[in-house]
Amino acid sequence: MMKPLNRRTLLRGATTAIALPFLEAMLPSSPIARAGVPTKAPLRTAFLAVPNGVHMPKWKPSEVGRRFELPETLQPLASVKNKLCVLSGLTLDGARAHGDGPGDHARSGAAFLTGAHPKKTNGADIYNGVSIDQAIAQSLGGKTRFASLELGLDGSAQSGECDNGYSCAYISNLAWRSPTSPMACEVNPANVFDRLFAAPEKETATSFAVKSRRKSVLDFALGDAQRLQARLGAADRRKVDEYLYAIRDIENRLVRSEKLELGENGLPNYERPAGVPREIDEHARLMMDMMVLALQSDATRVTTLMLAREGSNRTHPNLGISEAHHQLSHHGKSEEKQAKIAKIDHFYVQQFAYLLQSLESIREGDDTLLDNCMVMYGSGISDGDRHNHDDLPILLAGGGGGRLQGGRHLQYAKNTPLCDLYLWMLNRSGVAADSFGDSSGPLKL
Amino acid sequence: MQRSQILFVVMLLAVARGHLPALAADPAERERQLRLEIEPLLEQHCFDCHSGEEADAGLALDHFDTPISFLKGRSVWKLAVQKMQIGEMPPPEDSELSDADRKKLIGWINETIEDFECGLQPNPGHVTLRRLNAAEYQNTIRDLLGINYSPAQDFPGDDVGYGFDNIGDVLTLPPILMEKYLIAAEKISRYVIKAPPPAEVVNREHNATSLDTNDDSKTYSGSLTLTNSSTIATLREQIPWPGKYTVTITASGDQVGNEPCVMVVGLDDKVVQQVRVPNTRDKPGQFSVVMRMRAGSRKIQFGFANDFYRKAEGGQEKQDRNLAIHHIKINGQKSAKQSLSASELSPYHRAIIFDPPRSESEYPSKTRKILLRLASRAFRRPVADEDLDRLIKLAEEVQQDGSFEESIQVALQAILISPQFLFRVEPPRQPASFSEFRDLDEFELASRLSYFLWSSMPDDELLRIGMDPNRSLRDPTVLRQQIRRMIADNRSNEFVKNFASQWLTLRRLDNFSPDEREFPQWNKRVEALAKFETLKFFHAVMREDMSVLRLLDAEFTYLNEELANFYGIDGVRGTKFVRVPLDGTARAGLLTQASVLAVTSNPTRTSPVQRGKWILENLLDSPPPPAPAGVPELTEKGPLVGSLREQLEQHRADPGCAGCHKLMDPLGFALENFDAIGRYREMENGQPIDARGELPDGTSVTGAQQLRAILVAQHKEKFVECLTVKMMTYALGRGLEYYDKCAVDKILATLKNDDYRFSTLLFEIVTSDPFQKKGSRPE
Repeated sequence: MMKPLNRRTLLRGATTAIALPFLEAMLPSSPIARAGVPTKAPLRTAFLAVPNGVHMPKWKPSEVGRRFELPETLQPLASVKNKLCVLSGLTLDGARAHGDGPGDHARSGAAFLTGAHPKKTNGADIYNGVSIDQAIAQSLGGKTRFASLELGLDGSAQSGECDNGYSCAYISNLAWRSPTSPMACEVNPANVFDRLFAAPEKETATSFAVKSRRKSVLDFALGDAQRLQARLGAADRRKVDEYLYAIRDIENRLVRSEKLELGENGLPNYERPAGVPREIDEHARLMMDMMVLALQSDATRVTTLMLAREGSNRTHPNLGISEAHHQLSHHGKSEEKQAKIAKIDHFYVQQFAYLLQSLESIREGDDTLLDNCMVMYGSGISDGDRHNHDDLPILLAGGGGGRLQGGRHLQYAKNTPLCDLYLWMLNRSGVAADSFGDSSGPLKL
Repeated sequence: MQRSQILFVVMLLAVARGHLPALAADPAERERQLRLEIEPLLEQHCFDCHSGEEADAGLALDHFDTPISFLKGRSVWKLAVQKMQIGEMPPPEDSELSDADRKKLIGWINETIEDFECGLQPNPGHVTLRRLNAAEYQNTIRDLLGINYSPAQDFPGDDVGYGFDNIGDVLTLPPILMEKYLIAAEKISRYVIKAPPPAEVVNREHNATSLDTNDDSKTYSGSLTLTNSSTIATLREQIPWPGKYTVTITASGDQVGNEPCVMVVGLDDKVVQQVRVPNTRDKPGQFSVVMRMRAGSRKIQFGFANDFYRKAEGGQEKQDRNLAIHHIKINGQKSAKQSLSASELSPYHRAIIFDPPRSESEYPSKTRKILLRLASRAFRRPVADEDLDRLIKLAEEVQQDGSFEESIQVALQAILISPQFLFRVEPPRQPASFSEFRDLDEFELASRLSYFLWSSMPDDELLRIGMDPNRSLRDPTVLRQQIRRMIADNRSNEFVKNFASQWLTLRRLDNFSPDEREFPQWNKRVEALAKFETLKFFHAVMREDMSVLRLLDAEFTYLNEELANFYGIDGVRGTKFVRVPLDGTARAGLLTQASVLAVTSNPTRTSPVQRGKWILENLLDSPPPPAPAGVPELTEKGPLVGSLREQLEQHRADPGCAGCHKLMDPLGFALENFDAIGRYREMENGQPIDARGELPDGTSVTGAQQLRAILVAQHKEKFVECLTVKMMTYALGRGLEYYDKCAVDKILATLKNDDYRFSTLLFEIVTSDPFQKKGSRPE
């Protein structure tokens, strides 16, 4: 029997470390520069989600405004505090029951970036909303090779009941391209690396022939799907729509990668990751490295990272916590459990700090990559025991391309929609939208 | 009878459901009851809290206003009935619902949510177009092409709905997956079909400046002028392989006299050819000379044969004939290997290109023949003429500049990313008449059967039945025979692996990481062995066609030495799993296998609650209502103290918790002799284990053996119904709807009369209307 085909084997012999462009070197050939616009680094956006809420007393600063102390959980962010806003008081109304009964984890996972109220179903007629990252990605059109990059630390494979009658799809996907089409995330950093940097044509000698063959094959598939669609009923057509979208997306990428090859030359080395590491912090950091590489090389401008799926029962033996996260989060006000939750929160914030520091360490002209980013971090649940979706733990980091002042703790009025923040981000991304999800207006920042 | 007792009777002994003669289902009467008797009760006792946007517990009930809406929302009402039965709802402190009214309300709701008129042919339902999931993809590639390709590492995980990862509605196709399908198709096609390497090409160009001369002839304005016959211009060229090369010279001359310039072209000091160059300097011409060259450094040489010079005299102008060389091009093509010898070809290659063309003239007929077979197998039905023509066109495009083999490679790539391969296509057909739904065609049925029992494509035997006008999978004899054959086939391991491991939630073991200090005996290896034990056990019950009840109480299991040591069972040797009798031990059936015991435990200890909940959910299809948010563990009554049992007893003292925990806890406590990783124990923390519990109906149950006996004796119909519902969900790739109840009831009736034999369950599912027919999905 054949051994499993392995991309690594195919690439062996070729260099396994890939050269990356410094942005300075790349900018002159970037699409922006070519269009004759003054060379300015593009705005990048990233979203990170943690599950099960946080222990708010150790998260929320007691002072509001510029003069605030970072509470215990946020301490790891001290070195980037001046590029960080703590946003308090935001609400994710879509995650509330609204008559649908239990299932808060699935709902907040699904609603976190969409602001929608997902339809309660275990499968039939899944319906959520379009997520903010996808809305921004769609507005950027074809500017980058990947419209967006979805990453996670948990695969979606599960079994059994996910959350009180909600399909697992709501829990395992942050990004939703349409209300019915979630964007699965990649969990293996090696695969991300290969998608970003090891262009498939490196696997064969005659790349031109491969590309033209591939186009013929995709054309065939497109024709096949169109013919099939005509024979199907409405419910099935949606599935073929997804197929058609995916095929066109790949076709576009083939064209775009030809354009972008020129810009990708010259530069520092990053070792190809070997696979999924056993330790969760190592895994998180590798994925964050991939985010940074993708943003730095302008392979994409929009990315999401799910640090754990909503309702996660991950254990943290390295922190001396052998209990499972979700079980702990139902702390019943037990001090011991709350202390452990705060420890887990602190752990995830440490990883986030690593990401921000990495972004901060990369220069782009007079600024840093972090200055040209909007990075949002948080959870759709506030207290994991009460499952409340108001007063959420939300951080917004980065300079937003010069439009965002860090070093502040902002307190918003009760029930201010989290979607107000998304609307603000959407506007900053150049979309003149008046609303997003249940927004009441762009957040005052 | 206490309220909790009523619940227990309803939840665990609901054998009556579907088996009692149906109540006269007079829709008008039911509607009248709703308006006159039920709605007032709901208004008075429920809607105060459970209505509108701000409904308590986020649960609104006021939009249920017709009997059919109750039927469709039956999952909500089942939970509501549970809460009413245990007396949790309406809250005793706020409401005075009399016992008679409570009974009436529960009775009406229960009847209504079970009341579905089957009629002559109930809607068999519609399955949303199903993408192959990762396991099905891998198996289908294996059975189609004969290779093991494991994409699971690379493909994003398939999402789960209704507990399974093969649900049409939930299996989406994001671009990242399509990208992986494309790359997989390219890799697979290049692996299984060996194509001769594409021809290598030499294509070099030189300006005149690259030429060396044996005198002082120089290049001016782009050309080298040869002025006399002794001049030799030489181009030194590194030739990569021996063969024929075409040297194309752009040349011209100063033409005088009655003959044109003659250029001599040579190779390594030997003349190859003389070429007449009639062109003038303003219009150079191109001249090609073909020469055979050996590999290595070669001298390609140019001379001038007919120099002519006459001084200007007698009024005549000077006449000077010269040759000019402007540019040289060298082209060579390594003769491509046209065919591969049989010894170079893999069996996969020969199976696909089973009738290779002997000459180019046979390309069209052989292309058609090969693709007809390949596409029909890949699409699991005879390929449509139009689709075949398009595939052939694609292959022919490739044949214009590629080999025959490459053309089949490319066509295979197209097949492997075609929606007809990636999806299980069942186009809808209009019902023949009102409420008479159409059968699936033979090929669609063959696919449903093979993906159900093998998680893979139909084999040639199944496809042949589809082609044969004299045989049909609808013939019960043929079908029974096929099911038997399929179960005996090794591919049925896939059914066990995919169905049983998901039904029993064994895949969650991946995320189970017990405390390493407390349970050093557990590791990923033991986890894998324990999982394997359960699957092997399930497979035996299936293959040996036992009663499905044996899953609960069979006194045997499968172990190898390592796992037997883990359990502390003597006498098993070697790495191979063997059947081990369990008589005389505390173990029997699924419930005492380490996999099940571990997956229902907390990382630090057992969880009787989770174990009880697991039994209710997965063996009795009666999931308890979820715990209310913000369970007041510490509030008001102070912290819980004492042993786990004592803590749970204090917990149950809270009326908000009591109802459900009375159901879950005793089931779980009966398994307390097994620790969090499934090892037998009689003591914990120096105290003897107390595996007693009292079921809500007053029956006391002590230990796993009694629990098994009670489940098998008193709850077997509920268990069988649960297994049937789960297996049908898996078989159909959709959640069951209210209109499926008729099919399920029919299956249960047949099973009961046939000692619950495993093969009968499979046969009845396969012959049920939802499996056999195309229905619709009511909005």
